[in-house]
Amino acid sequence: MKKLLIIIFSLILIIPVFSAEKKNSKIKIGISKIVSHPALDSVEKGIKDELKEMGYNNIKYDLQNANGDINAAKMIAEKFKQDKVNVAVGIATPTAQALVGTITDIPIVFSAVTDPEGAGLVRNTQKGDANVTGVSDLTPVEQQIHMLKKIIDIKKLGIIYSSNEVNSITIAKLTKKACKMLKIKYIEATVVNSAEVKMAAESIIDRVDAIYISTDNTVVSAFSSVVDVATRRKIPIMSADPSSAAKIDVLAAYGFNYYKMGRVTGKVIAEILEGKKTIDMPTRYMTDQDSLDLLINLDVAKNLNIDIPKYIKDAATIIIENGKIINK
Amino acid sequence: MIFKQIINILIVAAPYGLIYGIMALGVFITFRILDFPDLTVDGSFPLGAAIMALFIVNGFNLYIALFISFLGGITAGIITASIHNYIKVPGLLAGIITMIMLYSINIRILGGSNLQILKRKTILTNIIDLFNKTNIPEELILIIFFIIIVIIIKLLLDLFFHTDLGLTLRAMGDNTQMVLNQGINPDILKLIGVGMSNGIVALSGAFFAQYQKFADTNLGQGIIITGLASVIIGEFIIRSNKIFLITLSVVLGATIIQTVEITGRMYGAYVFLKPTDLKLIKGFLLIVILGISIILKQRKKTNKKIRTGLTL
Repeated sequence: MKKLLIIIFSLILIIPVFSAEKKNSKIKIGISKIVSHPALDSVEKGIKDELKEMGYNNIKYDLQNANGDINAAKMIAEKFKQDKVNVAVGIATPTAQALVGTITDIPIVFSAVTDPEGAGLVRNTQKGDANVTGVSDLTPVEQQIHMLKKIIDIKKLGIIYSSNEVNSITIAKLTKKACKMLKIKYIEATVVNSAEVKMAAESIIDRVDAIYISTDNTVVSAFSSVVDVATRRKIPIMSADPSSAAKIDVLAAYGFNYYKMGRVTGKVIAEILEGKKTIDMPTRYMTDQDSLDLLINLDVAKNLNIDIPKYIKDAATIIIENGKIINK
Repeated sequence: MIFKQIINILIVAAPYGLIYGIMALGVFITFRILDFPDLTVDGSFPLGAAIMALFIVNGFNLYIALFISFLGGITAGIITASIHNYIKVPGLLAGIITMIMLYSINIRILGGSNLQILKRKTILTNIIDLFNKTNIPEELILIIFFIIIVIIIKLLLDLFFHTDLGLTLRAMGDNTQMVLNQGINPDILKLIGVGMSNGIVALSGAFFAQYQKFADTNLGQGIIITGLASVIIGEFIIRSNKIFLITLSVVLGATIIQTVEITGRMYGAYVFLKPTDLKLIKGFLLIVILGISIILKQRKKTNKKIRTGLTL
């Protein structure tokens, strides 16, 4: 009897401690990204900055990096599930897929996913799923190819992409479609891992007027190889990612500012933290013109003997000249 | 016209063939000489690339960096051999254990999953600069340079396998009991052999990073297959038991594989082949070659029963 009383008393004492802790407990957000590269890093930074600016100072972040390993992405998802994070964020398709495949009872926000429907994250981008919503980084392929054709009159366009990334295949299809519309010959080379990128570039370089590199994680991690091959043959490169283009010699880069996409992702997370149901949240697309950046590297243009039309120089948001980066 | 295209393919394929040829020489030591199925290679190749890239980014002396890559590979090999020798783990598993451990180590070395070394000074850019005024195309300079490197490594290996230690190593793969009877500890021999093999593989990785202008943790994915295929195709072309010819055949095998790969990539589209089908084709090629080798071997056995043990 005495023992039972002690147990009951201690339980009474413990319960308030628990509930009090719950109130004061920090919000836990798990962020899982597939690999560390400038674009994905700035998404992560954008999320953190946005939430901080919105007044969330009590967030504990669990920042995880799968280093390109899909099995590691799965393990990270398991960890978030065990830790019972408030919101799980998956940056890039494989990590988001791992989260959606593992977690069913915690809201998941994906970011930097090109084709959420094709990747099986949501059934319909017009609506959210029971616990999944997010931001798509579907790059405006058509506008990009169009822009490239405005800069230089190309007839044959080469694209290098990895055949085992769902988003890369989607973009390749869109590129093919855009090329058909603009009457450009489409030439593709696919890779399985980063070690093949240089060889893939070499296999098409003699047959193309320009190379288009999209938001492909595998190809981007071997970007130096493509630049090396293309520079030697004086072939221009168009990239879809201006944030990493400043470090690497491409003629032009036209696409999202990934940092801003991170900020939008941060907003989505905030809405969920405030109690909005993911089912009511359709996939967001970065359609805002302000979030598109155009980078033109005049040093590369000079090296390739390409005259950039003035109206394009005026439209550019970032210009690189004599090694200096000028932000407009 | 066709001749020009063939030359073009060879120019693109040669550097890969030669760099992978160095790796294949390493694989050859473990698989053929030691009879030790070593999968450490998948980890020691990117290890060499990672160490080299790290030193290049930090502006370290390039030749010392190359040597440290070599030492890194040797260490990886010694770890595999030690796991095998002292914890009595089968060789295949020991290699896998080291390989997965190297994955973490490579990420630590790279400080992330990849490191770009475009525009940095590398041994290759130094060589190109050296011959810049001679008007020889860059591609050709690199090919000649790699041929020289491969010849040096090959000749050093040939020399090594003619020393007492080298001969004992060769004997051990064929007959461990004989080595034991000579009073030599085979464990020590395995340490040396597997260490040396992975050192050479790491060296190949170091050159690969400089050629590709980046190092990445996933560079080694499935590279052991390329190495093995080189050895098998090499043996098919040059049948000999002379070490000088065998090492030559390994490099030739590697070059042939890369030539097939490049040809497939460049002209596969004309016969509705996708680059993803190349692995299937490589597999078929190996099956055919292995099949023919076995048929030839059997025929030789039935024709001349007296002559044995010289082929394969």
